[in-house]
Amino acid sequence: MDRQETIDNLLDHYEHPRNHGALEDADVVIPGGNPSCGDVVTIYLKVDAAADTVERITFEGKGCTISQAAASILTELVEHKPLAEIDAMDFNDMIDILGREVVNTRPRCATLALGTLKSAIHKYRSDRERAV
Amino acid sequence: MTSYAHPEVLVDTDWVAAHLNDPNVRLVESNEDILLYDQGHIPGAVKIDWLAELNDPVQRDYLQRAEFEKLLASKGISNDTTVVFYGDKNNWWATYAFWVFKLFGHKDARILNGGRAKWIAEGRELSRETPSYPQGSYSAPERDDGTIRAFRDQVRTHITQGGTALVDVRSPQEFSGERTHMPEYPQEGTLRGGHIPTAANIPWAKAVKEDSTFKSADELSELYGAQGVTPDKDVVTYCRIGERSSHTWFVLTYLLGYPKVRNYDGSWTEWGNGVGLPIEKSYQG
Repeated sequence: MDRQETIDNLLDHYEHPRNHGALEDADVVIPGGNPSCGDVVTIYLKVDAAADTVERITFEGKGCTISQAAASILTELVEHKPLAEIDAMDFNDMIDILGREVVNTRPRCATLALGTLKSAIHKYRSDRERAV
Repeated sequence: MTSYAHPEVLVDTDWVAAHLNDPNVRLVESNEDILLYDQGHIPGAVKIDWLAELNDPVQRDYLQRAEFEKLLASKGISNDTTVVFYGDKNNWWATYAFWVFKLFGHKDARILNGGRAKWIAEGRELSRETPSYPQGSYSAPERDDGTIRAFRDQVRTHITQGGTALVDVRSPQEFSGERTHMPEYPQEGTLRGGHIPTAANIPWAKAVKEDSTFKSADELSELYGAQGVTPDKDVVTYCRIGERSSHTWFVLTYLLGYPKVRNYDGSWTEWGNGVGLPIEKSYQG
C-alpha cells in the first residue's frame, strides 16, 4: 500500500470499525489507556479453550484515529489465531501492519490495542491457573 | 465593552470562507489527532504535525532555522504569507503551532476563532483533497528563544522575584498533585505531582466559550486579573509539555495585550522530574 492507501485504510476502519461493541460472554474484559493522547480501548476476548485460539474478539473505545483504527484492524487480524502466535507478535509488527510511514510518530496509539490484547491473554491464563 | 488588544490576529469563519482562494493566505490545520485532517479539512488547508514537523526528532527542542525554512517553503508559505491556524480541541494545537512560528518571527500569523469545531458546526464545506502549492520562498532569522520562551533556570529565578506572575494552566487535579496528567488520561511520565511554587491555577480552556471561540476581553481580563495575573507583570505560563500553555500565552499576549509573556515549554514534565526543584503539593491522598 502506498501512503494514501494506508491512510484510506485507517480512515475506513476508524469510520466503520469492525468487531466493535461489547461481547456478552467474553472470558476477559480488559481496558487499556494511552498517556500520549488520551486514547482508551477495552478488549473483549473469548477463547476457544480446547484449541487455545481466539474464538471471538471485540473492542470498544474512544480516542484518536490511529488508536481506534488499529483496534479494528487487530480484531480482524487475530480472530481464530493461536494465543501463542499473538504472544509472539511484536509491537513493530503492528506498526508495519498499520503502515509505518503513517503511524511511526504515534507508536503508542498504534500499539495500544495489541498491548491491551496481550494483557487480556495474560489475564485469561492467570484466571485459568487460579481456577485449576 | 473592551476590545481585544490585537484583534487583527483573530479571523472568523466568514473571513476564512471569503479567503479560501486567496493566494496570499495559507490555512494551516494543526491537531492532536494526526489523521483528523485526512477525514476532512477546510478546502485548501495544509496540515502541520506538531510532533513530526515542529519538534526535533531526537533532542527535546524545536526545529532549527533551516528546517523551519524548508518546512514552510514546502507548504507554499513565504515570508509575506498570511498564515491562519486552526485545529481541534479549542485550537489547542493551533496556538502551539502559532507560538512556534512566532519563535521564528513569522509576521502575519492568525487564529481562526472557534477552530475546526466551529467550522464544522456551521455546516461548512470540508475536503479530503490534499492541496499542492508552488514551493514558497522563506528566509527566517535564528530562532528567538529569549522573548516568548522560558527555560527551567529562568523560571527558578522568576518565582523568587517581585513583579512576576506564574500561570499553571493545567487541571486543578494536576495542580494539586492528585494527578500528573489530565483527568481521563493515564498517569505517567512525571515522577512528582504538584505545581511550581507561586503559580496561579487558571486552566487554559477557561479562556474559551462553549462554541470554542474566545471569551470577551472583559471576561478574560477578569479571569486572569482576579488571580493577580495582570499586564504590569512579567508573566510565565506552563502546563505539561508547553502546548496548553501556548494557548494561554496567546490569550495574554494578543487578546489582552500583556507586554511580557513567556511560555515555559519544559513545563511539568521537566519540573516534576527535576532533582531538587521546589514543588508545592496540596493533595494529601
